[in-house]
Amino acid sequence: MRKTTTSAIWFRRFKTVMWYVVTIFGAVIMLLPFVWMVSTSFKVENEIFSMPIRWFPKKVTIANYTRALEVVPIFKCMLNTLIIAVPKILGEVFVSALVAFGFARFHFKGRNFLFMIMLATMMLPYEVTMIPTFMVWSGLGFSDSYVPLILPAFCGSASFIFFLRMYFETVPRDYEEAAWIDGAKNLKVFRMIFVPLAKPALITISLWSFMGTWNDLLGQLIYIDSQPKYTIQLALASFSSMTGETLWGPLMAASFMALIPVIALLLYAQKYFMEGVKMGGVKG
Amino acid sequence: MKKVLSVILITVMLAALTGCGNASSQSGKKTYTFATWAAGTELQEFQQIIDKVNEEANGEYTIEVLSIPSDYYVKISTKIAAKKSPDFFWLTQELISKYADMGALADITAQFEASSVLKPDMFYEGVLASAQYNGSYWGLPWIANPMMVYYNKTMFTDMGIPCPEATDDWTWAEFIDVCRQFSGKEYRGNTVYGTVIDGWPNIETFIWAGGGDIIGEDGTTIVLDSEEAKNGLGYLQTIVAEGLSPRYAEVSSLGDNNVWFEKQRVAMYFGGMQDNFEIKVAAMSEDEQFEIGYAPLPVCDGGGQWSFDWTASTVMAKSLEGDETAYKALEAVTQAFFEWKIAPPVKDSVENVVNINPTKENALETIAYTMEYARSAYYIPEWSDINDKLWYNLYVQLLSDSNFDYKAEMDTIAAYARELINQRK
Amino acid sequence: MKKREKAGFFFILPWLIGLIVFTAFPMIAAVYISMTDWDIVGNAAFIGINNYKMLFSSEEFIRSLWVTVRYAVIAVPLIIATSLTMAVLVSKNRKGSGVFRVIYYMPAIVSGVAVAIVFKWILDPSYGLLNGVLSFFGIQGPDWLYDPDWVLPSYLIMAVWGAGGSLLTYLAALKDIPEDLYGAAMIDGANVFQRVKYITVPLMTPIIFYNLVLGIIGAFRKFTDAYVLGGAGKEGNFYMVYLYEEAFGHYRMGYATALAWVLFVIILLLTFIVNWTKKYWVYSE
Repeated sequence: MRKTTTSAIWFRRFKTVMWYVVTIFGAVIMLLPFVWMVSTSFKVENEIFSMPIRWFPKKVTIANYTRALEVVPIFKCMLNTLIIAVPKILGEVFVSALVAFGFARFHFKGRNFLFMIMLATMMLPYEVTMIPTFMVWSGLGFSDSYVPLILPAFCGSASFIFFLRMYFETVPRDYEEAAWIDGAKNLKVFRMIFVPLAKPALITISLWSFMGTWNDLLGQLIYIDSQPKYTIQLALASFSSMTGETLWGPLMAASFMALIPVIALLLYAQKYFMEGVKMGGVKG
Repeated sequence: MKKVLSVILITVMLAALTGCGNASSQSGKKTYTFATWAAGTELQEFQQIIDKVNEEANGEYTIEVLSIPSDYYVKISTKIAAKKSPDFFWLTQELISKYADMGALADITAQFEASSVLKPDMFYEGVLASAQYNGSYWGLPWIANPMMVYYNKTMFTDMGIPCPEATDDWTWAEFIDVCRQFSGKEYRGNTVYGTVIDGWPNIETFIWAGGGDIIGEDGTTIVLDSEEAKNGLGYLQTIVAEGLSPRYAEVSSLGDNNVWFEKQRVAMYFGGMQDNFEIKVAAMSEDEQFEIGYAPLPVCDGGGQWSFDWTASTVMAKSLEGDETAYKALEAVTQAFFEWKIAPPVKDSVENVVNINPTKENALETIAYTMEYARSAYYIPEWSDINDKLWYNLYVQLLSDSNFDYKAEMDTIAAYARELINQRK
Repeated sequence: MKKREKAGFFFILPWLIGLIVFTAFPMIAAVYISMTDWDIVGNAAFIGINNYKMLFSSEEFIRSLWVTVRYAVIAVPLIIATSLTMAVLVSKNRKGSGVFRVIYYMPAIVSGVAVAIVFKWILDPSYGLLNGVLSFFGIQGPDWLYDPDWVLPSYLIMAVWGAGGSLLTYLAALKDIPEDLYGAAMIDGANVFQRVKYITVPLMTPIIFYNLVLGIIGAFRKFTDAYVLGGAGKEGNFYMVYLYEEAFGHYRMGYATALAWVLFVIILLLTFIVNWTKKYWVYSE
């Protein structure tokens, strides 16, 4: 008996070590571009492209950071991006959840058809609807404005709705049945049962929504005309000279600065991905 | 209720649509938008130039900057499609004929020829030709960027190879001979090459080298399959076959072709005005520095001398055709640009090169010499299709395999180009 | 029940309004544009279904579609398997697993440019990391993106690397699997693989379904890295790269829009098929 316990402990330790070996190996591979970006941001120019690649600069310099801030007001651009991102997240997440709830828990005429239509809207490339969409907004008098970038978010986002619908459908029926019997209103069921249960999913799509705005170039490029309104992606696009030369050092410095808020947000949010309402009791 | 709502929404949409149809009568207004691909620091400089021009205009007109830091032509064409064309915008030489053909540009011939400020004969002929199509002028060139040969003087001297002169009339055969003396040798611990070719210099340069061309001056004849053009690509074939340049698959390992020159891995580099090797070398540690020399491109077979020139012009929206104030603004801005970037496309201003960029002082003699004959290719609206074939089916094939039957492919592409021209309406 | 039906409609109303206001017009306009000869800048001339006729006889169309289909067939399942494995790996509550979750998700947030540059180097024939590792084992690595035969494997490597992009979807679902299910299975003597096969995978099927559909859309609309990196012999000329070049490189928006509709129909058909198989393998409460 004693012997088995010891070997079980050893087996468990072995598993833990293996887990770390595999996970760290994967992590190193995942981090390569990021490490290159950060190390390049501290390099002097003629060290950037050396073969074989140099992971740590011979001479560390912060000149790229000061230069990057001269090229374009990065913090201002981040702030501008937040002005778009915050209302967009609020609208997109809240409305998508409502719509997903509608699709997941109600049987109405044409539901599947409408859902298919919704999926279909994701399938036509943006490149070919971009110009007609731009025509409408500019016809409505919006030029050099954030409105065309924010307003559509308040009608939800097809991929978020799809995701949340799949998520809601895994919620056991017995959860809400009790509430229906209690005579709770639809909105109350949504708010009291589905929103808390879906917290990890809602946080996930909030992140996606944020990153979608943070990383969107083409959309913002089309609607924003003047530099004071630049977003972070337009700022990052500003590191090429007219004749096509890229300022790699400053660009990587700026990219790193632009990434810090995203990483901070991810680190903060990650604990919620795994946390949530304990559902253990249901099955028993 | 739903129906009412949808009706209202559709009405709004339709109103929006018809609204964009009649928002185009722009002539007569005194505020102009100017679209630029200048970004970052250059955008700040651009803004200063515009501010100065606005100030000097004394309220006669005001120019507003529209900055497009990425996907420039996507945004320009989208704006034009929505009838919101910028009043002025930059256009690269390859697209002048295309945009003129599509009806987006104002024909400025009459104003240009009558002007007392900027006259056609003030420009270098080869440069100005890039703003011409179908016998008309469609824009004012504001920058010229001719190609020349940068070489590593230190490497030449160390290896005992005589340097070309600043206005050397060397031939392509001589150029290749110089390459042979470097390629495969060891220099400062590395294997070096004569030059680096990876799609740059462009195919035009090689086709011209044999005395040939792609499209005739008339814009309808295709001469790509001429004996001269084929001889020209023969030079490229020799360079690839003899390994005078690093392997195509190898060039990008240093990030970009110019890095091969900076790291002293190639002796000669086909460069333009924007290649700031001088600044980069000055920033290096002492043991990595070297002296830079300059020479014009080799003379082409048959004695013609050409250097590929890249020029951008400032064009005006079609709706401003004939607008005197707008043209005045265009002239004022163009003149201000001449003081900004090298090389100015106008004669008698070569001295300005050093004022604008002092590091090019030693290159001045070669630049002045090259500007006299630098020119762009003859571009036609079908160019993007022809160029695709030239790149994928010809240039890359030859770079990857020196045994590639490039002559047959040139015949195929020439036939394809003729077919495109026959299809013109 | 009638009342509940109405309520459901009320919940989806915001989306329906968006569909009519923001989405319907551009899509209808795109139908019309696909039947015109339109150079974006000038006027559009109606030419009926000529663009579609032209497209089906175009060599480039066939080639780019083939490049894309071949990629999608391999990449979609590969990405799902990889990201699912990653999710199971980092969902363990061990010290540092939170940081690992973020790291595995990094490929989705680092800018496309940095990723493309680093992959250019990783796949570099002469000095690249991959060929360096291969030569360590005495293998002469291929020319990757410079060799037509190795372009597809190059893009598959990049796809596997970026698989962490869908990590969050699996994590959100994994946490919902009741712990005591595993506990019960362990008492019954189920090993790791059995536990994954009989518990994890079935309960994850709704999310796998979601990722399958989005994966198909994503694979067929692959653009950014292919546009930046290309590939020898036009083997890196994915369908969307071809479409984009036609639209904005050659100013043939009518033709490009027809291409877009063909892509639309292909993706839609695949989605129908996947949706039809749903009842056979997707777990639902």
